[in-house]
Amino acid sequence: MDYTLDIGAVTRNMGPLWEGLAITLQLTLAANAIGITAGFGLALLVLSRFALLRLPAMLFVEFFRCTPAIVQIVWFFYCVPMLFNVFLDPVVMGILALGLNLTAFNAEAYRASIQAVPREHLDAGIALGLSPAQRVLNIVLPQALRASVPVLLTNGIGTFQQSALVAIVGVADLMYQGKTLATQTYRPIETFTIVALFYLAISFPVSQFVGWMERRRGVVR
Amino acid sequence: MTAAADTSALLRINDLHKGYGPNIRVLRGLDIEMKPGERVVVIGPSGGGKSTLLRVVMGLEQIQQGTVTFAGRPYISTDGRRTAIDPAVRRQIGMVFQHYTLFPHLSIMENLILAPRKVNGEARGAARDRGTKILERFGLAEKADAFPSQLSGGQKQRVAIARALMLDPKLMLFDEVTSALDPELVAEVEAVILQLAAQGMPMMMVTHDMWFARNVASRVIFCAGGVVVEDGPPEQVLGNPREARTREFIERVFHIKA
Repeated sequence: MDYTLDIGAVTRNMGPLWEGLAITLQLTLAANAIGITAGFGLALLVLSRFALLRLPAMLFVEFFRCTPAIVQIVWFFYCVPMLFNVFLDPVVMGILALGLNLTAFNAEAYRASIQAVPREHLDAGIALGLSPAQRVLNIVLPQALRASVPVLLTNGIGTFQQSALVAIVGVADLMYQGKTLATQTYRPIETFTIVALFYLAISFPVSQFVGWMERRRGVVR
Repeated sequence: MTAAADTSALLRINDLHKGYGPNIRVLRGLDIEMKPGERVVVIGPSGGGKSTLLRVVMGLEQIQQGTVTFAGRPYISTDGRRTAIDPAVRRQIGMVFQHYTLFPHLSIMENLILAPRKVNGEARGAARDRGTKILERFGLAEKADAFPSQLSGGQKQRVAIARALMLDPKLMLFDEVTSALDPELVAEVEAVILQLAAQGMPMMMVTHDMWFARNVASRVIFCAGGVVVEDGPPEQVLGNPREARTREFIERVFHIKA
């Protein structure tokens, strides 16, 4: 292999990568804000006794779980403007596509945590005279929300990584800037390695934190 | 039915039918009348409806037929489809379960004061004071700020009893409260229940521990096949049963234990 590594070619041009990282973090944080809040509401709909609420919610979840994220993003960017005649900023479109995807996955995390609260705890709540709303607020949700935090964080960091997919529809995120820089400098190995290290530097601490949280839960229980 | 005698009964169960789905019938016309101050131990083969009976009295189950009356007030009834339960009456009954059911996200004190504060609107300080007194009585004062996961099974079960007592119940239900405990932890929980019995707390309990049943009961009911087979003082039902099915059960259980 007669390829000489020249990291300097990339490190001298880090500006676009930092800009890309800023967009990537913006996509991630905004998508998580949507996923954490709307995911909770969606979980409540999925658990509803009323089929009229439950079935559409389940359909939404299954649609996003059973199709590739890249198809969802491409569909969102090309079909939504044509179908509904709305033209949004690409970053906003990216946030919505990633946010809706995360909403479906987080809804599943919330649903599983809510259903994992032991039935006997509700019986004990009835025996203590708590009303249905008091049982939900004081017994079910505090336990369920705690249990769902590690999964929400794992999903959230998954969205951070998945956000790289929006590069293919022209959002100037970290991956997009990396691709551009690699083409301009003819240094794909250096560029994409550094881009990968960016993703690693943020994902790794979070995944370690999740692991620590889960071990701690295991000890406490 | 002796409707006129209602006033003297603390708990009155009339013609109680309870099943799960169309094919499983657990209680098939159960009648029990419990007088104030009585301590009723319900024994019988598993699947005979003992725990279901307690759960019905607590208002945790839908029933298909019958009524349950507490201190002269009917509080559980059904039109055959829906079960109506009067929460104001139900609040006078406390229950402790086999698996502790302490809320793991709350400290021991918070477990104790949750219902007094939310249900009765008691001030936090007043509830804490009462909680401290009950914990002291049960030898658990230093555990007030601990979490359930830091307690032994026996301690958890004593806290569960304390939590129920915080609401000042007029009847306590104990559903196999020592069955999940390691053998060396059973005595501390039984001691607390005996302490309550000595203070005159009316109680109905399901237990497989025949020695404890003999110690605590003022009356023993043998339940099998969803009906009351035999009902009498512990010396009779446990010592010299009249019914063949009771005798057979007692002999089998004591034989296994002996």
